[in-house]
Amino acid sequence: MNVQDYISSGIVESYVLGLASPEEQSEFERMCRQYPEVLQARIDFELVLEQQAVQNAIAPPPALKQQVMNAVLPSEAKIIPINTDAPAAKANWFKYAAAACAILLAGSLYWNISQYNRTQKLQASYDEVVKDYDSTAFRLSEIEEEIAMLTLNPNIRMAAMKGQKISPASFATVFWDTTSNDVYLQVNNLPKPANDKQYQLWAIFNGQPIDVGMIDNAVFTGEKKLLLQMKNVRGAQTFAITLEKKGGSSTPQGDMYTLGNL
Amino acid sequence: MNTTTTYSEQELVALLQQRNDHSFSYLYDNYSGALFGVVSAIIADQETARDVLQEVFVNIWRKIGSYDPAKGRLFTWMMNVARNAAIDKVRSRGYQDSLKNHAIPDNADTNIAGSATLPQVADTGLKKVLTKLKEEHRVLIDMSYFQGYTHDEISKILEIPLGTVKTRIRSALTHLRTMIK
Repeated sequence: MNVQDYISSGIVESYVLGLASPEEQSEFERMCRQYPEVLQARIDFELVLEQQAVQNAIAPPPALKQQVMNAVLPSEAKIIPINTDAPAAKANWFKYAAAACAILLAGSLYWNISQYNRTQKLQASYDEVVKDYDSTAFRLSEIEEEIAMLTLNPNIRMAAMKGQKISPASFATVFWDTTSNDVYLQVNNLPKPANDKQYQLWAIFNGQPIDVGMIDNAVFTGEKKLLLQMKNVRGAQTFAITLEKKGGSSTPQGDMYTLGNL
Repeated sequence: MNTTTTYSEQELVALLQQRNDHSFSYLYDNYSGALFGVVSAIIADQETARDVLQEVFVNIWRKIGSYDPAKGRLFTWMMNVARNAAIDKVRSRGYQDSLKNHAIPDNADTNIAGSATLPQVADTGLKKVLTKLKEEHRVLIDMSYFQGYTHDEISKILEIPLGTVKTRIRSALTHLRTMIK
């Protein structure tokens, strides 16, 4: 059906006179929005009808106006306007207020959600930073302790062990407390051992090697420690590191990587 | 009262929606006659028609917030408020009872269902145009527009298929249109 046929189908008159079904009404309203000629046909008929009604007006009794005005806007009793006007005005006001509230609520909800998400993210990164800080601070205090122990203790003796033929770049340092016999090892540079191998520190006293302990392979995989506490040793002139089978040997079997005198 | 002032329809609607009582007085002055004509075409009894007109204006004042200019002109809306109030009155129990208490003149010529319970209304306006329509159209417009029967009810009363009722009413309306142009 084209628009012109639609206009002349009687729908315009049916709609304006209030005879159209709800479905026809919504369809007609849609057509009015879509086709200016449908809207124009509606307005044309409305004007004809209005003109017709005005021409056939019947004057109501003059006294009726006052009755109507009194019913709608009672001027004598101030309380009545609240009862009569208020429901409509209030309903209207309420409708707008409710709409405004809904919009505000939706806006606020959206804002809250985005703020919540933001806060969650900030909290997560904050937690991470705090964790990092804690471990760094802990590590720092450990290092401070270690340095203090080495520098403030007058009984500490040091052996800088240089790299041997097999690995000239290797380098490690032993700190030996001559009173407590504590031995600390600083691994400055050693090649990462194979999984089934482990470095072993030896003290050499009067030509005899004494086991001072194994170097944990974790030292080479990231869990870096400035100083490793080794076994105590009562006497030593020289320190050396050899590469042994995992778990170590009772006497040095493998290649010597570093060697240094006190 | 201030008959020198004129408002555009938009201004009038805006003022009414702001509950401006002067605009309401203006509305009454300008439209009460036309709306009384609409009501009187449906309700013959002058006293009842007057009560209904008062109700119509109270309804207009109360419902003006729901008037949507996109759906039609202000007068069209008011005309439908008036028609609905008049039909509600006519179809109300109280009005029907009051009619039964009156002697009903014999309307021998009529086979329109419902018209036997209605006194003759003034043949003015649309009602007058109606008399120019051919019988089958006249009956349908009278029952649907002036008596407020639904298409379904008309179909049952006149024993005509619903589809036929719809097409005939549409056709009747287009004829009506050409007559009042």
